[in-house]
Order: sequence, then C-alpha cells, then structure tokens
Amino acid sequence: MKRRRFLSSVAIIVPVSILGPAFIFSSCGSAVKEEYFSEENINLLNEIGETIIPATTDSPGARAARIGEFIKVYVTDCYTVVEQNTFWTGISVIKELSKTKYASDFVNLTIPHKRDILRSLELQTPKHNKENKVEPGKGDAVQTGRTQQEIQSSMKENTPQFYPLLKNLVLFGYFTSQPGATKSLRYIQTPGSFKGDLPYKKGDKSWAT
Amino acid sequence: MGYINIKGVEENTYDAIVIGSGISGGWAAKELCEQGIKTLVLERGREVKHLVDYPTMSKDPWDLPHRNNLPLKEKTENPVVSKCYAFKEDAMHFFVKDKEHPYIQEKPFDWIRGYQVGGKSLLWARQTQRWSKYDFEGPASDGFAVDWPIRYSDLAPWYSHVEKFVGISGSKDGLETLPDGEFLPAWEMNAVEKSMQKSIMGHYKDRNVIIGRCAHLTQPKEIHLQQGRGRCQARNLCQRGCPFGGYFSSNSSTIPWAAKTGNLTLRPNAVVHSIIYDDKKNKATGVRVIDAQTKQVSEYFAKIIFVNAATLNTNLILLNSISKRFPDGLGNDSGLLGKYIAFQNYRGTLNATMNEFLDSYYYGRRPCAVMMPNFRNVYKQEMDFLRGYMVFFSAYRSGWNHAVPGDQMGDSFTQSKSEPGGWGVSMMMQGETIPKETSRVSLSKDQKDEWGIPLLSIDVGYDDNDEKSIKDFLIQGAEMLDKAGCKNISTRDSKQAPGLDIHEVGGVRMGKDPKTSLLNKWNQLHECSNVFVTDGACMTSTGTQNPSITFMALTARAATHAIEELKKGNV
Repeated sequence: MKRRRFLSSVAIIVPVSILGPAFIFSSCGSAVKEEYFSEENINLLNEIGETIIPATTDSPGARAARIGEFIKVYVTDCYTVVEQNTFWTGISVIKELSKTKYASDFVNLTIPHKRDILRSLELQTPKHNKENKVEPGKGDAVQTGRTQQEIQSSMKENTPQFYPLLKNLVLFGYFTSQPGATKSLRYIQTPGSFKGDLPYKKGDKSWAT
Repeated sequence: MGYINIKGVEENTYDAIVIGSGISGGWAAKELCEQGIKTLVLERGREVKHLVDYPTMSKDPWDLPHRNNLPLKEKTENPVVSKCYAFKEDAMHFFVKDKEHPYIQEKPFDWIRGYQVGGKSLLWARQTQRWSKYDFEGPASDGFAVDWPIRYSDLAPWYSHVEKFVGISGSKDGLETLPDGEFLPAWEMNAVEKSMQKSIMGHYKDRNVIIGRCAHLTQPKEIHLQQGRGRCQARNLCQRGCPFGGYFSSNSSTIPWAAKTGNLTLRPNAVVHSIIYDDKKNKATGVRVIDAQTKQVSEYFAKIIFVNAATLNTNLILLNSISKRFPDGLGNDSGLLGKYIAFQNYRGTLNATMNEFLDSYYYGRRPCAVMMPNFRNVYKQEMDFLRGYMVFFSAYRSGWNHAVPGDQMGDSFTQSKSEPGGWGVSMMMQGETIPKETSRVSLSKDQKDEWGIPLLSIDVGYDDNDEKSIKDFLIQGAEMLDKAGCKNISTRDSKQAPGLDIHEVGGVRMGKDPKTSLLNKWNQLHECSNVFVTDGACMTSTGTQNPSITFMALTARAATHAIEELKKGNV
C-alpha cells in the first residue's frame, strides 16, 4: 500500500498530525507481522476489552474470556490486509492518545480515562453509531440461517473503520467465548426439544446460539 | 485408456451397481439390498462413517478457532462454495473446494457439491414436502417442458414408504397443494409466527400458513430405533453430522441399513468414468471406474445400474458414456441429454421487525421454518408469469448483536446486550423455474480433470419468467408482512447465481416419448432399459417443494420395479 493511501485511511479516525513514526509500517501492503501480537499488545487488547465489557458480580469480563488471544487469531486469519492495517493503526492511536491526553500507557489509566479514550474514537464513527448493530455473520444469522451472506456482502462494501472493527471483535469474541456464552448469556448445546412460546420477563438472558 | 491389473470379471460382478451414495443412491442401495440383490455402491469421495467421521459434531462455539466464521484464506480460495450458507468452519470439510474439482461456467452458476460417502445428505437443509397433483400436471397444463409420465397417485404410496423410514415431522393440514404424509409430531410455531399465521390466513382466503415439514425424528418409532437413530435434540447443528441420528442422512440410515443385509459392497474413492454399453447385447454391462487416489482403472459389471451421482454429475457420466450405438452419450438418441436443466429461484428475501410479543421467548433451536404452499397459478393461469413459489418465513428474537441505546461500554451496556432484542422476521421464496432446452450442460472439448474426465460446462441462467416471479413475491411478501403487523419491512433481490439453491434438476428428464425425453415412467433410459436414473437429473420440472423427498420416493419406486424386471428376466 502506498504511504499516502495508508495515511488517508486513518485520517478519518484521527488527525494525521498526531501520528508518530510508530504508525508507519515498514512493509506496506503485506500482512501484519507476528510481533504485533506481543505479550504487551495482547495485554492491551485484554484491557480494551475489559473496558468495553467489564467483569461484574454476575459475569466475567472480556479479560476472563481471553479476548486478546481471540483477537490475535481472528485478526491474523480472518482479516484482509486493509482491515489488519486499519486495526493496528487504530491500536497505535489508542496508545498515542493515552500518552498525549493522560501521559500514561492505556493499561495504567483509570477506568474513566480508559473509557474516555475509547469513546473519543467511537464518536468519530457516526455511521456505526447510527446503525450500532453490525456484526459479521453472527447472532441473527445463526438463528435464521439466512442472512449470513447478506451481512458478509454488506461488510465487503464498507470501508473498514477502526472502532467498529474493534468493538465487534470484542463483542463477538466475548459472547462466543465460554465465559461470555455461558455466564452473560444462556448456552445449551443440546436443548433436547423446542418450545415455541415461553413467558419472558425483563432481565432473562438471551440464548447464546 | 490402458487397463491395468484388471481383476477377473467374475470377481467384479454384482447384481446391481449404484453410482453415488447420496440421498437417492442410499435409497437405491437399501431397496436393492433388502430384496437380496448383491449391490455395489460406488462413491467418488472418501468414507464418512456415521458418528466416527463427524469431527465437529460436539464442539461448542469457543472450540472453533474462528467461532464458526471462515478464515480469509478459505474465502479467497473458494469464491464459489464459500457463498453457501452452510460452508462454515464447522462443516467445510464436507464440501468440495473450488480448486479440487473445476468446472466451466458459461453463465454464472454456483455448483455446490459434497464428495464423500453420504454426499450432500449430510449437509442438506432437510425440508421435505410432497409434490401435489398440480405440480405433476404443471408442464402439460401450462405448456412447458414435457408432460410427466406419472401423476401424484403413482408416487403417493412411495412417498408413504420413504416417509415412514426417513421419519418426517409435520402437521396434517389437509391441503390439496401440499398433500399430507406419514408424519411424526410437528414442530411448534413461536408466538409471533402464530400471530402472523392468523393474520395472513384471515386476510387471504387462498393462502395457507403451516409449520415446515422436515426429516427430523420428533418422536422416533420402532423402525427408526432399529436404524440406531434417536430423537432430534433441537441443536440445529445438523450439517456437522448428528450424534443422535436425529435427522436423516445416507450415513445414519440407508447405508448402514443396506450393509446389515450382507448384500452391500461400498467402494469409496471410486470415480466413475463411464457406463459400459455392449453393442451386441444391446444393454449396459458395467461401469468403468478410476481410483480417486491411485488413478488405477477398473471395471465392474452388473445386470442393472442405478445412476445417482447427483443431478449434474449424472448428466456428466451419461454424456461421457460413449459407444458405437450411442456416440452422443448413453441413451441420447433424442439429443436432449444435458438439456432442460432447471433449479429453484431463491433470489427474493424480506426482513422486518415485530414490535410486540416482548413477553414471549422460545427454547431450543427448531430445524425448520414456517411455510406457505404455492398460491400462484394453482387452479388457473392468473399471473403474467408461469408457475409460482413457496414462501418460508421465521420469527426470532435477536441475540447480543441487537442495538442497545446509550453508553456503548460498561456494566449496563453488557447487561442490555445479555438480554434478547426485539423480534425480527425473515422471509424467502423458493420459486419454480421453467426447464428450457437452452439451459444445458455439456462436456468440455479440450479441458479434462485430473482423472482424464472432461470438465462439465454449465450454461444455465434466469429468464424473464423468474424476474416476474421475484417481483411478485417481493410485492406479496411485503404486503403479507404488513398485514401481519410487521414494521421496518425491507425487500431484497440477492441476484445470486443459479446453483446456490442446490436444487438443480433435469438433463435426463422423464417423459412418455423417447423422442422428447430420456427416461420412461420407471426411470429407465428409454433406449437402455437396464440403466435407471433416479436422482435430480430425472426431473421433468422443479415444483416449488424442496426436492429430496421426491428423489427418494422415485428411487424406491424404480428400484422395486427394477427388481421385478430382474426377476422376470426383462433386464
């Protein structure tokens, strides 16, 4: 990828001026290297995940779901080069914003400051916020078995934006993990039967699959 | 072609050969073996044993590294098969990959295949409705294709025969357009579906809304227990292979059943090159086979041959079966072999929401949808297009991916995400398409696969009739959803290529006249009566029903006839 195009693809998220040398990939156009998933970055991803989905008294959070490890596998195997670059550029922006705004690494920030960093990125993706329900190939698609293709093709048409990618990774990875599916949702691999009309009261959890 | 290490003719001789072990081949094997016929089943793919070879059947979502999504590499390498809804991390090992078996698309055609013992019966969508008399009468009454040589009454007892063994859940609805069968208890509708049923049937006197009929054991009977199959557990993970044998497949049912008789020989990795025709005896004498791995050529011999390689591969085998008597393909004096291919039209879909019923939810994962038998052009031609469509719809509450207002992180966000969202409704069509002489498959003149067999060239597309049918469905669908109280109704024409429906049929159609058809009313080639074609290739028209149960009924009927003819010495 040409440097200018690469930079313009992140300009939507954050002014180019705050991008330091860390954001320029040495081998533009090729897939992201293994070392991007360093222990430090996996830990950062766990912290980001935990900020979006924190542990509560009832359910474990994204860190317990090992969200960083999941993101490593998913981004490496399922993302296009463009999506990978968007993802890592965004992660660099999170690092940089943490330093410029709060003079600290993201992982050492207070919870309100962590949220502030993520929210500032989210606010720059109004289309995502408007729709606010995009997730490739999960949820409804599983239940109806028919909208998978529709969702996939709509994903293809959209230029990737960092925050929606990140948020979807966290939500998808969490709710399909063992802690997420079994504690935050209800999961039964073998229901045994189907009952079509059962009473629902507010607060009851939804089925994981 | 060199014949290497051919075993003695006697050693390679059986009473019957069945080409293919999928849903119809399995039925041919069962019927023949049960009647004491020594039967060889040839399968081009690998062995897949029930339970033993279902590696993902008990995996939870988190056991799948990509949580059942496809790695980019799979998508990139498989632009065709990755379009299929079931080609996902949990079942992709049961599909043919694009590179493994190339074919030629004269027009876009997504050819979805499963090369293994059991074929696509492992993967099918398991919806099973009988044809009605209107479907068999369609071509004659509407003046397309050619008249079916049989009517509903000819097939009705055979539907019963296979339904009892397969195990079909459904409700007795008493509809002329979708005859009742031998049903196990039906699945339930949910609260929204029941409400929609009432609204739609109240508003349209000629439209029926019923629960889907499917090959799932809701209450196994003795015959199913004898097969080692148990009750469907509402997992809806069927495409992985079922640990309970809850749905019907060749692997869980017909093949082990045939094997128990001691009359079955199953040979996997056996790629059929062609059927051998003896010009002196005026009949087919056997099958030429290439080992998928060693490429060694063998010949097998039998008195009768059933071709059940799945629609397009059955066409390919017959087209490639050249002899002095049949220079253009076996039984092809009419020149119609490979022509009049049709499929089903899935392009139209709708989505909507339903605001009420937030006090209702469901338990378990039902393996079928609600359906509406065709209501177009049934009793008379009334639209500007021929034939019609079946409608399927289902209502569901969205899961964690529903939109949640307010703060998008933290405790309350997670809590809201953990609760089900509102109701959504999705609706789709399954439209009849018109078989045409121009819709055809043929053999490539210059390209061959790695076994030296010509590649199949596919020239099948939509026509104006399909466009009109889609348009009508989208208008009617939107109106019905509106009458049912749905909101946010959206319509979509997916423009998907033919083939992705996986309901391709024809090319070796049945008919009364050898000049205009290939097969007689017993599925025998008119001009080579010891060869039977009973998979989708035999279909004269498509109907609006899911096709597999009709293939099974036709196969059982033809096999029984074949045995009678064999005993009389007529074949």
